[in-house]
Amino acid sequence: MQVTLKIFRYHPEVDKTFHYETYVIENAQETDRVLDLLEYVKGYYDGTLAFRRSCAHGVCGSDAMRINGQNMLACKVLVRDVGTHITVEPILGLKVIKDLITDMEPFFENYKKVLPWFINNSPLPEDGRERRQSPEERARFDDTTKCILCACCTTSCPSFWASDDYLGPAALVAAHRFIFDSRDEAAAERLKIISETSGLARCHTAFNCTLACPREIQITKAIAELKLATITGRV
Amino acid sequence: MAAKSRRLSLRERGLNFEMLMWLFTRLSALVMYGLILVAMVGAFLMGARTQMNMADVLRWGFLSIAGHIQNTNIPDLEPWATPFWRLTASAMLLVATAHGVHGLVVIADDYIVHPRGRRNVRALSIVFLLLMVVAGLYVVWTW
Repeated sequence: MQVTLKIFRYHPEVDKTFHYETYVIENAQETDRVLDLLEYVKGYYDGTLAFRRSCAHGVCGSDAMRINGQNMLACKVLVRDVGTHITVEPILGLKVIKDLITDMEPFFENYKKVLPWFINNSPLPEDGRERRQSPEERARFDDTTKCILCACCTTSCPSFWASDDYLGPAALVAAHRFIFDSRDEAAAERLKIISETSGLARCHTAFNCTLACPREIQITKAIAELKLATITGRV
Repeated sequence: MAAKSRRLSLRERGLNFEMLMWLFTRLSALVMYGLILVAMVGAFLMGARTQMNMADVLRWGFLSIAGHIQNTNIPDLEPWATPFWRLTASAMLLVATAHGVHGLVVIADDYIVHPRGRRNVRALSIVFLLLMVVAGLYVVWTW
């Protein structure tokens, strides 16, 4: 099978602006991943092609990119899913450093704002072993523990494209994970942070994040739960 | 068994203007449905079933001013221009313009990237809102 790969290219030291380059790959398989094709191009056509990848199995979240206009992980999407004419571009809303690599700092800055770590200053239980939680209590935030911080959601969000100070879906997912954790003690502090001007109210329920999430997290639902928690105080 | 939820007080969690407006936009939509329902029920009680067509009833429902029924077969417009209906129309006008203009401002934020542009759009929207409200109230109370 022949696959045509059109790739966004930008070299900051050479190019004034971006351009696209097209590569034709013969003998591709329909079960090849887009990441395999990118590796092939880098190995056989142009070694200067830059993209992030690490585990290559949908766990690390390094290779988020726009494939035929939709945010996906290149290591999870197969040729048979996207066809034989594939356009690969960097994720939107973040500055492109080179080719498919974007500056992720603004994304992680927003992530850090919601205090994405466990906060509990109470003494340990008497047995000194663990802070117990029932399966039902755990189920309340189970979905949002699956986030791998690939940024597919945040960079598919029109509100984030317009203002990168907007926390974005990924940071809100992280906030959800801790706010609804019965063992955590900083829910009120996090609710204050996410109800600021650049927080929850800027989510316009576009649902792009939910569609883009490679982990199939129900992000818009999680954000709706946060909105309700901000209004009612019930977590 | 559902997990027991905790409740955080308003003092603990805070509630700022953005979230209040978010809540207002949702609640005002429900208020508008209520006002339309009141106006339509009132219209039917005042004889709309035999003397008005559906388009006229809907027009009255969206804004209950007597001007909306002057071309119907209603013989006496006096009961349709009472202070109650003028107040209903004023409430609809205020809620609808605030709901709509706030919605526009929020959506505009997705397209206008520059902070100064956003400030200008907000200022223009407030001026637009005030003009609409003044013109609307003038019509409601002088017709």
